[in-house]
Amino acid sequence: MELSLLLAQALSGLSRGMMLFLIASGLSLIFGVMNILNFAHATLWLVGAYACYTFWFILQDHSFAIWLAIPLAALSVGLVGWIIEVLLIRRVYERELPEQLLLTYAMVLILGDLIKITWGVEDKLITRPALLAEPVFIAGVPIDSYFIFVIAVGFAVFFALWWFLKKTRFGHIVRAAVFSREMVGALGIPIPMIYTGVFVMGIFIAGLAGAIQGPVGSVTLGMDMAIVIQAFCVVIIGGFGSLLGTLVSSIIVGEVYAFAILFWPGGALALIFILTAMVLIVRPWGLFGTPLRA
Amino acid sequence: MSKKILAWAGAVFAALLLLPMVLGEFWVLVLTEILIMGLFAVSFNMIFGYMGQLSFGHAAYYGVGAYTTGLLMVKFGLPLGLSLLASMVMAGAVALVLGYFCIRLTGIYFAILTMAFGQLIFYIIFQWYDFTGGDNGLQGIRPPEMLDGAWSYYYFALLVVTAGVFVMWVISESPFGYTMRAIRDNTQRTRFVGLNTKKYMLINFVLAAMFAGLAGGLWGPFNRSLSPDLCNWHQSGVPVFMTIIGGPAGFVGPLIGSVIYTFLMAFVTGFTEYWPLTIGIIITMVVLFLPGGVWGLVERYSAALPAREEPPVDPEGEAP
Amino acid sequence: MNGDYILAVEGLCKAFGGLQATSEVSYSMRQGELSAIIGPNGAGKSTFFNLITGFHRPDKGKVLFKGADITSWSSYRIARFGMSRAFQVSNIYPMLTTYQNVRQAILVQQRRTMDLFRRAEHLARKETAELLEVTGLGEHHQEMAGTMSQGDKKRLELALALAIKPDLLLLDEPTAGMSVEETHETMELVARLNRDMGVTILFTEHDMSVVFGYARRLTVLHQGALIADGAPQDVRADEEVQRVYLGEEV
Repeated sequence: MELSLLLAQALSGLSRGMMLFLIASGLSLIFGVMNILNFAHATLWLVGAYACYTFWFILQDHSFAIWLAIPLAALSVGLVGWIIEVLLIRRVYERELPEQLLLTYAMVLILGDLIKITWGVEDKLITRPALLAEPVFIAGVPIDSYFIFVIAVGFAVFFALWWFLKKTRFGHIVRAAVFSREMVGALGIPIPMIYTGVFVMGIFIAGLAGAIQGPVGSVTLGMDMAIVIQAFCVVIIGGFGSLLGTLVSSIIVGEVYAFAILFWPGGALALIFILTAMVLIVRPWGLFGTPLRA
Repeated sequence: MSKKILAWAGAVFAALLLLPMVLGEFWVLVLTEILIMGLFAVSFNMIFGYMGQLSFGHAAYYGVGAYTTGLLMVKFGLPLGLSLLASMVMAGAVALVLGYFCIRLTGIYFAILTMAFGQLIFYIIFQWYDFTGGDNGLQGIRPPEMLDGAWSYYYFALLVVTAGVFVMWVISESPFGYTMRAIRDNTQRTRFVGLNTKKYMLINFVLAAMFAGLAGGLWGPFNRSLSPDLCNWHQSGVPVFMTIIGGPAGFVGPLIGSVIYTFLMAFVTGFTEYWPLTIGIIITMVVLFLPGGVWGLVERYSAALPAREEPPVDPEGEAP
Repeated sequence: MNGDYILAVEGLCKAFGGLQATSEVSYSMRQGELSAIIGPNGAGKSTFFNLITGFHRPDKGKVLFKGADITSWSSYRIARFGMSRAFQVSNIYPMLTTYQNVRQAILVQQRRTMDLFRRAEHLARKETAELLEVTGLGEHHQEMAGTMSQGDKKRLELALALAIKPDLLLLDEPTAGMSVEETHETMELVARLNRDMGVTILFTEHDMSVVFGYARRLTVLHQGALIADGAPQDVRADEEVQRVYLGEEV
């Protein structure tokens, strides 16, 4: 097997993994803190991609178009997340699991159709910025520079989240809440505020991820469905509520996918499912999760 | 059986027998779909209502059943009756393997694992192009001549579905059925009374899958074609919706849910493509404002009526 | 192993994290005993019960029951083998009626739970009615078990434990939350079971009048270890026991 092919695949896998990380990190955080499995997480990611398209479209005559469109899209999605939390999510914190799952599932359906209504059914294409249009050469191998960009953003978000959770007061509270909700509540810290904050943060990251996804290929309907299960798998394998776990498992899943495509194209996803099922059976709280919450 | 329940069941059955005689073909087809999906939803409720676990991958067994009947009839020319039996066996066999792992988990992990397995089955059927036709699906499934018409297939489906629901009802009222309720209520206590709860949960899981497989088997000749989408998590969501809309009552709930859901879908898709938006909003409303579903409303209403002599009948119709 | 020891516990140890909950406990019971285990809160009584009923696996030690080594057995297997337990906090089926609760346990005992086709409603009527009567639950049989008073729930708890016709019955504070009459009724029932049916009974209690009124043997646990064992009067007079229970009525 040629080294150049291996390198290209490895980087492609890493890029894919980092995109999964961006989606899964919010998902994992939300579940870890609030025990809500947000089925609509990938759909909000898709909204981010479409929003980025719109902002880019409006600004496209300017050279900085995409660079402004991405944060604007992320913020818009964050705002949508805030609205969803206030209107819907916070009503089901005390409810049973089926109702919580159904609510986020209903959101998938509602948002999916709203996307269709707002942006129509044609694929949307965002031109890549000049900076990232040409491949870079690593060890003589041409590598898609946008992949590098995605990887960079992914790691940037990882370190930002890590710093937030480890070094800031709010972050400490969030980590404590993953460990024990009751303890945090007993300390007099308003749980609802934490929940809203965490939810919005998670959705913001998903929106950011979607915005970055835009220029990778095209933005099409149904992209969320293709990726949401993979994101779930990542969170399960890594462990809910564990940032490092999410990173590690994202990279694993990304690479498994990239290399499986070479040898067994049909089975790439099946392989990931089997891996997920194995983790759920042997160690349901994931590689890095805490058994206490299982 | 309490007289009241018997009377109601009889009335409903009579209505189902007579309605097609006054309805046009379209509505007979809708009724057939209601029956088949109703069977699917009731089988789902064996796991959800009676065992207390949420399976988000029940469509896997529905799909396995559908493809078993479809493939046996199209590729091997087997008769419908035999194929339906094979569907039940096949769905049960798959559930035995997958269920062995699923029942080791509870709560959200059970939901996620069942969903993961459901998607796995979906991908297997999707990728196995040579055998199943992949995303082109399986075409050309026709019921035997005798049943090859909207009305005749309807009555056949009514027969099969009634038999299926009846058997499930008998099981729910049996010692096994009550053991399921006990496991749902207090698994730990059940173990301390001396039962291997995992074994019982697996058997229940397999039974539920078999009836889902039966429903799937009925679907093929009805729809004339099959696609792998029958196994995906959207399809798995359908019986969940139905049970939540209808209400938690063991049998009536999912059946009411099937009526409402299927009617709504037939109606709404008639004039808009935005069915997902519609059902999404309805589910949201039901979850937020009507947690007991339609049956919950009915119960509250009948509780508000002037008191009668007989004690209130609980949804399972038990009056010791 | 001596033939008529129904229960023989040897050197049982269990630690949770840094806490040694059970410390080298050895304890044997003969068939037909009516004995009590007491100790201050946190002494390890519930852990001891958890260990012998298979709820926890001991770190060290052995549990022999009716001659078999049940140390590694799962809780359902041990229950089937003849050891039953009534929990401190009523462990009943809240969403079933009292009648259904009792019937369920009886059906387990009758090995009929795999029956998929007979109507449960018609089965075990006599036995269920009898057990309800004996435990004083006759009036409540149609109530949803979760809505009953604490005392009634305790009675149901006892009924469930009895339904499986155990050889050894473990009762975790059987009269907690009960009135004086209820306490008396419950303990008379327990005594009758022991006397007339030969059921071996081990119970824990905080109510010392119950302990001294009914137990023929008393064992004291303190910080996970056994510190006294013998006839109740002797144990009561034991200096260490008095020190441990300082301030309490012993």
